[in-house]
Amino acid sequence: MEQLVKTEKVVTNFYTYEGVVKALNGVSVEVRKGETYGLVGESGCGKSVTVRSIMRIVQSPGRIEDGKILLFFSDTDRNQAVDILKRSEAFMQTIRGNEISMIFQEASTSLNPVLSIEYQIGESFRLHRMPEILRETIDELQANLDKKKIPFVSGWKKFQISLFNRQKETLENYERLIDSIEFQLAELEDDGTSKNRRLKDELNRKRDMLRKDDRLVMFFRRFPFLRRYYRRINPVIHRKVVNLLKELGVPNPENIARSYPHELSGGMQQRIVIAIALACHPRILIADEPTSNLDVTIQAQILDMIRVLKETTISSVLFITHDLGVVAEICDRVTVMYAGDTCETAEVKELFQKPLHPYTKALLRSVPKVRQEEALATIPGVVPNLVNPPTGCRFHPRCESAMDICKREKPPLFTYAPGHTVSCHLYTSKEAKS
Amino acid sequence: MISIEKTIDADVSINIFLKTEKNHVNLLNYIIRRLLLMILVLFGVSLIVFSIMMIIPPGQRVAIYVKSEKVTPAQMEALIEKYGMNDPAPIQYARWIGNIFQGDFGYSETAKGPVIEGFKQYFPITLELVLLSTPLIILVGVWLGTLGAVHKDKPVDHFTRVFAVIGYSLPTFWLGLMLLMLFYGLLGIFPPGQISNVGKDVISSPEWNRVTGLICLDGIINGRWDIVWDGFYHLILPAFNLVILSCALILRLMRSSMLESLGQDYIRTALAKGADRGTINRIHARRNALIPVITISGLMFAGLMAGMVITETIFNRKGIGLWMARAALQLDVPAIMFNVLFLGTIFAVVNLIVDILYAYVDPRIRLT
Amino acid sequence: MSTELKQKTTKKEGFLSHPAVKEFTFSAKRFLKNPLSIIGLTIILIFALIAIFAPVLAPPEDPYDPFKIPHDGWKTAPSPPSPEHPLGTMEQQYDILYGIIWGTRSAFKIGFFIVMANLFIGIILGSLAGYFGGWFDEIIMRITDMFYALPFLVMAMALVVAIGRGLQSIIIVMIILGWPTYTRMIRGEIMALRDKDFILAAKAGGAKSLRIIIQHILPNSIYSVLIVASMNIGTTVLTAAALSFLGLGSESGYADWGQMVSMCRDWIVGPPDNRLAYWYVVFTPGFVIAMFVLGWNLLGDAARDVFDPKMRRK
Repeated sequence: MEQLVKTEKVVTNFYTYEGVVKALNGVSVEVRKGETYGLVGESGCGKSVTVRSIMRIVQSPGRIEDGKILLFFSDTDRNQAVDILKRSEAFMQTIRGNEISMIFQEASTSLNPVLSIEYQIGESFRLHRMPEILRETIDELQANLDKKKIPFVSGWKKFQISLFNRQKETLENYERLIDSIEFQLAELEDDGTSKNRRLKDELNRKRDMLRKDDRLVMFFRRFPFLRRYYRRINPVIHRKVVNLLKELGVPNPENIARSYPHELSGGMQQRIVIAIALACHPRILIADEPTSNLDVTIQAQILDMIRVLKETTISSVLFITHDLGVVAEICDRVTVMYAGDTCETAEVKELFQKPLHPYTKALLRSVPKVRQEEALATIPGVVPNLVNPPTGCRFHPRCESAMDICKREKPPLFTYAPGHTVSCHLYTSKEAKS
Repeated sequence: MISIEKTIDADVSINIFLKTEKNHVNLLNYIIRRLLLMILVLFGVSLIVFSIMMIIPPGQRVAIYVKSEKVTPAQMEALIEKYGMNDPAPIQYARWIGNIFQGDFGYSETAKGPVIEGFKQYFPITLELVLLSTPLIILVGVWLGTLGAVHKDKPVDHFTRVFAVIGYSLPTFWLGLMLLMLFYGLLGIFPPGQISNVGKDVISSPEWNRVTGLICLDGIINGRWDIVWDGFYHLILPAFNLVILSCALILRLMRSSMLESLGQDYIRTALAKGADRGTINRIHARRNALIPVITISGLMFAGLMAGMVITETIFNRKGIGLWMARAALQLDVPAIMFNVLFLGTIFAVVNLIVDILYAYVDPRIRLT
Repeated sequence: MSTELKQKTTKKEGFLSHPAVKEFTFSAKRFLKNPLSIIGLTIILIFALIAIFAPVLAPPEDPYDPFKIPHDGWKTAPSPPSPEHPLGTMEQQYDILYGIIWGTRSAFKIGFFIVMANLFIGIILGSLAGYFGGWFDEIIMRITDMFYALPFLVMAMALVVAIGRGLQSIIIVMIILGWPTYTRMIRGEIMALRDKDFILAAKAGGAKSLRIIIQHILPNSIYSVLIVASMNIGTTVLTAAALSFLGLGSESGYADWGQMVSMCRDWIVGPPDNRLAYWYVVFTPGFVIAMFVLGWNLLGDAARDVFDPKMRRK
């Protein structure tokens, strides 16, 4: 299968007052087209930081230090990769919410309490579908204008159309120019001569100079009363929002759109969060424990919804959870993480039947089964403090089959079978084999 | 095309209907209830003020009715008897309240006339200063606070923090005196008072059409732009003094609440949506950050009143503040009582407006 | 012997590794790393030293009335700094330096006394109102509402005049008018804690009300209250100085900063040939007040940033 998103040895640190938290210790994951990919681990193992690194929304004091995050989004060339760590923030803004979307753990805090649902969903459209919205607004205005002609009002309407047109053109121009500059920058990346650097600086400056908005339009939008003309786009956005909610099977979409987050139930809030993420039909949806704080019944509904959506709208889902039951239910492939390291990656069935890494084994043992006779197994010890992580393999202090080498060296990635990789000294070092 | 119906959140629709149907009725009810409560609070305030005033011996209180220099103790006694100042406190209180309801607030020695006349004369001078400085305080405070939070730990942030802590620590009277010393004393500009002597002649002449009492506004109405400038010229230093001292409070609060707001989960959602920094700060963070600022602005108003007393004293502007200061110093009881009640009313009204504004900005708050 | 020693050391380590102690040392370290808090601390320490060593720095003429500023003749106009009067003299030749040194004692006295008294009243009324709620709470809160609606400065002025001018009266009046703020604050803190799980747990464990307040609620809410109180020492001194400035303080010549500023009001503008001739009378006392207040504010600010867990991790 084709790859869609791939990270290579990503290192992310948090610079806190207690010290540097080494949250990601060279994480490599790969999401392929058309699959649901799971990321499993205890809380604090770096799952969320991994996906936030992929979105490049690691918030201060965190920083992505090293590695590559590659996106394979080109429709023509399957192997053409874009390393987003080398791209500008402006480029990332065109990707986020558009090509990659994300839903979060706590829907209630993820929604802005003072903005209406309609605004919050509509913002996705405003950010990524503005030319389309403007075109529709212009069409509507034009139709309105053609229907009946009143001398003075028609002139004002014509002026509005010209304003919207200006805005649309500037925006399209902006997007085109950003694209071309980004492309040139990407071309320049390879050799580090001083001439190249100068060119790069110039391009960067040029990009920063680009304006998203026309000056005249800005004036009209800033000026009280005059800016009322801009409300013309609201019905268009409203229509889009209601359509989206209908598509997602939300009952009573008109009312929901008009309400505020606190008026909705937890399940409905999570659906709104999903709606925000899906507004622009992303290629990949990242779900960061979307069901953790929900009732079991609602949880099932949300999982159902994601599964159906995956079949119809989005091609891939990156699903984060600490719940192995959910993994078994929804994922195709899964990676187990521990303390900022990836332990093991495999197809779900394979992982459950033939776990290789001691941590995976322990994790599976600690899941209660229906016909359980003996006491539930636990993993001794606690998740290490990542300011001073254990040397070598980070799991070794809690590992039942730890060896001397585990304290010294970080285990390399070992391909046990096609599609099943593990990083553990048990399978690579001489010590274990002897 | 996708069908995930199943649960219909029944509570959702009910909530929405409640909200849309009853909003107007609620608001009106709420305002009426608050106004009734306000009367209760004012009643309490009047009691407190009155009991404080009862500490003063009757001889001192009656002094404001004494017209001539030579008064024998016997005459004094007669006066005290005449105005009933030896009566039991409840009776005196009832008499005072009764007079208020008849529109008689008494005679003010410091205003050299009935309290109401003094109020009409002094209030516009203060109002002018309030109208100029309050918007500035709020705008500057919110703007600098946002700036500091957005550029946390950058030079801008350090600058605004230092500005805030200095503004918070400077004594109002000292800053006023220093401003006066530098600008008026050294440079000879921005004199104290409310208007120049030439202007005073103009506005006290019979042709002058005194509509509002606000010098600048009346100047516009009378078409005398020199008077408008004259009034404004005298407003600059006092307004500057008030702004420096009062906007520090808003700045600090705005900065910390903006920082808190910027750390919330919904900011992350907006980031993941692809919103740029400007949009996030302007729309997602600032509206939330304004909520605590709005709640504190009622308190700021109380601080502004204290600042007004001192500022008007220093800059010798004959407004409510100066009047109150003089009334308190000379124990002009009717003037003190009236002004305290008046400010209490204003304070309650400001708080009512603040609460309504609060509910407007924060949809989670329902006025009940 | 050796085992005893060992036990002792482990005990000590145990004490140091107690979460609360660790938390405190961690906070204190951060507090000392912050340049602003260092500045604040230095300012306050300097003022404290001045207050303590006032008799050494400026020996009083009359040991029984040290707050009386000595004056050098009766000339009205202030005289500029000279070797005899390093900071110059005010009108009637009161020595500014002496006034500032002994005024430091007045300032600490005013600040501590008022804030302590208010805190005392506030803790008692606030914790009772917050913990028990009901009609007691209702009454206390309505009274504070009324006090909030009073214009503080005007009321304070009238009250001081009514009971007789002077620094003593200012202190008394500021206690009478100041307690509602603290009561409200403490009540709010306690209300927030009252329904927390650990309080419910203590209740379920059968603890008595008073015991819950003293042992569980107050220690948890006192931190933030103390920080606000420390910041208020500055503002309290400021307000008291404002009252003195308005002419309500002690008789002229008393070592009190506000009083000194009020004495300078006639000397803002110098003679025509030198408009700034008397700058030192206006500038010096006010500047000292500003520094004193600044010190407390910086200290309180930094303490809040460091000790308030909500502010810290940002």
